[in-house]
Amino acid sequence: MFKKLRWLRKIHISCAIFVIYTIFSNCYCDKPSVKPGFKIVSISPAMTEILFALGAGNDIVGVTTFCNYPEEAKGIYKIGDFSNPSIERIVGLKPDLVIVNLPEQMRIKKQLKKLGITIFVSSPKSLNDIYKEIADIGRIVKKERVADSLIHYMKMNIGPSEHKRKKSVYIELSPRPLVTMGAHSFLNEMLEMAGGKNIFSDLNKDYPVVSQEEVIKRNPEIIILLHPGNITDRLAWKKISAIKKDKVYTNLNQDHILRPGPRLVEGFKELQRIIRE
Amino acid sequence: MNKFVPVILIFLLAIFVSIMVGPAQLTSEIIQLRLSRVILGIFAGGILAFCGGVLQGLFGNPLVEPYTLGSASGAALGGSIGILLFGTISPLFAFFGSLGIGFFVFTVARIEGGLLRDRLILAGVVMSFLCSSLVMIIMVMGGRELYEILYLLMGYLGIIINAENRLFIILMIVLSVVLMLFLYRYHRELDIISQGLETAAGLGIDIQKFSVIIFLITSLLIGLTVSLVGAIGFVGLVIPHISKLLFGPKHLYNLPASFILGATFLLLADTVSRIITVYELPVGVVTSLIGVPFFIYLYRK
Repeated sequence: MFKKLRWLRKIHISCAIFVIYTIFSNCYCDKPSVKPGFKIVSISPAMTEILFALGAGNDIVGVTTFCNYPEEAKGIYKIGDFSNPSIERIVGLKPDLVIVNLPEQMRIKKQLKKLGITIFVSSPKSLNDIYKEIADIGRIVKKERVADSLIHYMKMNIGPSEHKRKKSVYIELSPRPLVTMGAHSFLNEMLEMAGGKNIFSDLNKDYPVVSQEEVIKRNPEIIILLHPGNITDRLAWKKISAIKKDKVYTNLNQDHILRPGPRLVEGFKELQRIIRE
Repeated sequence: MNKFVPVILIFLLAIFVSIMVGPAQLTSEIIQLRLSRVILGIFAGGILAFCGGVLQGLFGNPLVEPYTLGSASGAALGGSIGILLFGTISPLFAFFGSLGIGFFVFTVARIEGGLLRDRLILAGVVMSFLCSSLVMIIMVMGGRELYEILYLLMGYLGIIINAENRLFIILMIVLSVVLMLFLYRYHRELDIISQGLETAAGLGIDIQKFSVIIFLITSLLIGLTVSLVGAIGFVGLVIPHISKLLFGPKHLYNLPASFILGATFLLLADTVSRIITVYELPVGVVTSLIGVPFFIYLYRK
């Protein structure tokens, strides 16, 4: 009987510790700071960058763990990652606006809509879409003029350049399976402007899975790898023009070319440099 | 057995078709590429069907296959962990996943005592569920790895062969041939066991020990296969049934037939997956798509 009581007490103590821990962690560690004024949650790393570039970084109260630029973004309350944002954390922040990315965040968008939260949808398929989104968000955060100058700056720096002949480019996002980039993307457009031609620009899909045969058949002059890896030792790839002429590039900053934000300017310069070489 | 002649002819035809048919024109590089794919296909399909045949004979249960014993799921789990940790698949992870889950299933069944055979299947199915939920956690956690895990779960023969995995593939083929020959030597015991356990025990077969050996070796084979081409479903379950329909219950005939039929079937499925779209389809999708109607047709007859 006595023994049983002691056993019970142990449970009580551990329960108490658990309860105290939960209360503390809720009060201090996890609670977002409450801010007056307009509050934005950005589940889109590109939009986080755009907002900071517009000088509206202070309005952001929640971001994803993927939002790593600028430095200040890293310190903001995290609501989850890009593909798995936590709806509870978002709602807990009582935001005035949530920026979602489509098509990846369809589910969260529906849930937020049900809860009556205002949503800004970001889903750029071309450079013009990006400019339009910058203008729209600029209007919302009342930074129209900054937005205009940012768009102007990007348009000035990302533009068609003179080329005698377009070079064929293969971009590899993942080696197994081979994932590349199709026609519907701003990257495709940037590539063309930089004087390149995506060998898979005929595929009507954002990120198609392709076969090795197809890559060998299309024989690209330049290969850009967006993953750490080596392709020169692949069986039957040796005769590809890019590999024969040693035109395989691996050290590009992915965030500069895959993230539809202000830093595309740098990404575009990198692409131009590669294609001109 | 003159029934083998048409089966082998169809097999050779499948090899020919998978080398000749495809999106690109035939050059020496493309032939090299397709040949490597054909070799992978023969071994993956053959091993899966062969192991399925052996396991179905051993457990006297038509539902037993690499999936229901947990080894395929274990390999998929191991592979996914490898993808999450290192960004790309490492065959060793899948291999140890299969072996680890196989061993776990095995010890669970043994601790319980009693009839090893029934417990093994139950434990295997239970562990398959555990593995698939763990894989799903990894899929949710991962970002761009999702594609890779998806293709690992569905099976994919178009893997890139480079200096890193070339040796592993050769090693796998040699090892699997040795292991399959080793298993094939027990065809008579398998015949007796599938007649009934009492008969087998009466004839002096140590069923416990025999089950252990076969179980571990098939786990090893499945681990090797999945680590390379992913967990291709359907082949291991249905091909042995077809083989038994055609060649009867004698394992002397139906095991090699399973190997050849499995290889043929996977080669044809892979050819379809290659030409049906510009995109690459995982071959596992196609195996069930064309396999199920065929199987229903054959069974109704």
